[in-house]
Amino acid sequence: MAGLVPPGTAIPADASKTAHTKADEKIDYMNLPCPIPYEEIHREALMSLKPETFEGLRFDFTKGLNQKFSLSHSVLMGPTELPSQSGETIKIPTAHYEFGANFIDPNLMLIGRMLTDGRLNARVKWDLTDNLTVKANAQLTNEPHMSHCMVNFDYKGKDYRSQFQMGNAALFGASYIQSVTPHLSLGGEVFWAGQHRKSGVGYAGRYETDKMVATGQVASTGMVALSYVQKVSEKVSLATDFMYNYMSRDVTASVGYDYILRQSRLRGKIDSNGCTAAYLEERLNMGLNFILSAEIDHKKNDYKFGFGLTVG
Amino acid sequence: MSFFGQGKKRGFGASDDDMGIITRLSHAVSDSPITNATKRAANDAAYVTKKLLNSTGKAAWFAGTTFLILVVPLIIEMDREQQLNELELQQQNLLGSPPAK
Repeated sequence: MAGLVPPGTAIPADASKTAHTKADEKIDYMNLPCPIPYEEIHREALMSLKPETFEGLRFDFTKGLNQKFSLSHSVLMGPTELPSQSGETIKIPTAHYEFGANFIDPNLMLIGRMLTDGRLNARVKWDLTDNLTVKANAQLTNEPHMSHCMVNFDYKGKDYRSQFQMGNAALFGASYIQSVTPHLSLGGEVFWAGQHRKSGVGYAGRYETDKMVATGQVASTGMVALSYVQKVSEKVSLATDFMYNYMSRDVTASVGYDYILRQSRLRGKIDSNGCTAAYLEERLNMGLNFILSAEIDHKKNDYKFGFGLTVG
Repeated sequence: MSFFGQGKKRGFGASDDDMGIITRLSHAVSDSPITNATKRAANDAAYVTKKLLNSTGKAAWFAGTTFLILVVPLIIEMDREQQLNELELQQQNLLGSPPAK
């Protein structure tokens, strides 16, 4: 059974809405807006609740050589965690330098990053036509069997998007999302992992208005994720997220805020696992940003603090 | 006279017959069920107070560090934003006011 959700299932819920808004305006079901891509369905919630915290020093320098071409140099020094069996986090101080090149064109975007420990990250986004896009993402390493790559083919219709993806370990996935009313969009996905012989189906829905976004996602891997983002004012938005895994009975709830001020952007979140994180980006000068990141895990007594500078 | 001395030398563990009046009295106070109950209650109270202080301390640490991470940068940033707003308002007033004749 494919994970495609027939659009007709949501029509009865809209009938009352249409009756209500008939006085204001008639919803033109032929001209619905295009929904956002399926993998970005939690985009607003993730912006507040999952800031990219890091530990140590981070320095990013981006220099544009051309209108389309730019180089980036990045230095990252700090402890990195090693997965350990005993449950105690083992941190080893590492330092590496990353060189990157970006080519950005309206139709073609190429991004490559090379690290000093031999890893190469490459991303390609190619708009073949107005509606068809090819995206590829690859990570190559020196160690055998640790490289992987994923290719996505996106087709954007008038009020729907569909995507087909292939990964290197015989990983196949397809997703489809359709705008059902101007505010509601529903979608589904199906994936098959050849190496582990696993397959799964998932459904997602997203309801957004000017002031809030509510999303829900269910997957057959046992994950249920609900999120709600409220835009309290043009500078402040609050987000909350609830994740429940009915296979492993894991529950996590988190609340966060996102303040976008003129000179800075501050994001903070607190978790039900006793984990708080904050991320501050402050604009010191034109093109010069100062970053502070903090993450405290009270349960594991693991503290991560980082600071950095971004130029360009 | 020697009667009192004998009781005091024996002290703890002596039976009632051998003990003197004062020893008997002090034992009556210290071995009574009321004293035992009071001692147990005091022990329980001390235990509970220690646990309460301990958990209050932990809660205070948790609240304090979380406040430091989440709220202090917010206050600082909002203060700067307010200062910037006031500065802009001042400059607007200065530049926007008509030239003095």
